[in-house]
Amino acid sequence: MKNRIEEIRKEKNIRQEEFAAALGVSRQTISSLENGRYNPSILLAHKIAVYFGMTIEDVFIFDEET
Amino acid sequence: MKNYGSRIFLSIFWIVLGIVLCACHFAGLIEEYWSSMGFAFIVVGILQVIRQIRYRTNKDYQEKFDTEVYDERNRFLRNKAWAWAGYLFVLIAAVSTIVFKLMDMEECMMMASGSVCLLLVLYWVCFLILRKKY
Repeated sequence: MKNRIEEIRKEKNIRQEEFAAALGVSRQTISSLENGRYNPSILLAHKIAVYFGMTIEDVFIFDEET
Repeated sequence: MKNYGSRIFLSIFWIVLGIVLCACHFAGLIEEYWSSMGFAFIVVGILQVIRQIRYRTNKDYQEKFDTEVYDERNRFLRNKAWAWAGYLFVLIAAVSTIVFKLMDMEECMMMASGSVCLLLVLYWVCFLILRKKY
């Protein structure tokens, strides 16, 4: 699953540490999410979308092949 | 950290048990092996008490600790690591069973094959419990 986390985070000028602290996860988790190495749980995906003030579909790109 | 009270109680229990084992050895009641184990219990207990006190008193450490423990990726990695360790254990024990059989080491062969069987039984029991739960 692809995502736009890094793009949106940079647009909003938020640092990874800040973002991680707000979500209650480690900075490494944010890094893995941004690189597409780790797919979040639905709860974390929801938290991320809420943090950005968007819907899950705006942040995550569901692709059946990946 | 969940169950802080019971964790600190358990740590104190290890220290007390360690002291009792050491005391019994010095009184000549048990072998040296048990006093060594007792000493290890004391060290582990003390380290855990220090960690728990630090968790209680240091806000930064508390935050860092909770993030590390409850971070969902870390949980995922821990589960994955256990799964890999289990697979590798079965594989190594299965190969060892064959090797021990070829070397005519019956006792070792029985232990290796027994551990494979035990792990598989545990796996199925856990699987059935989890299937009911989820």
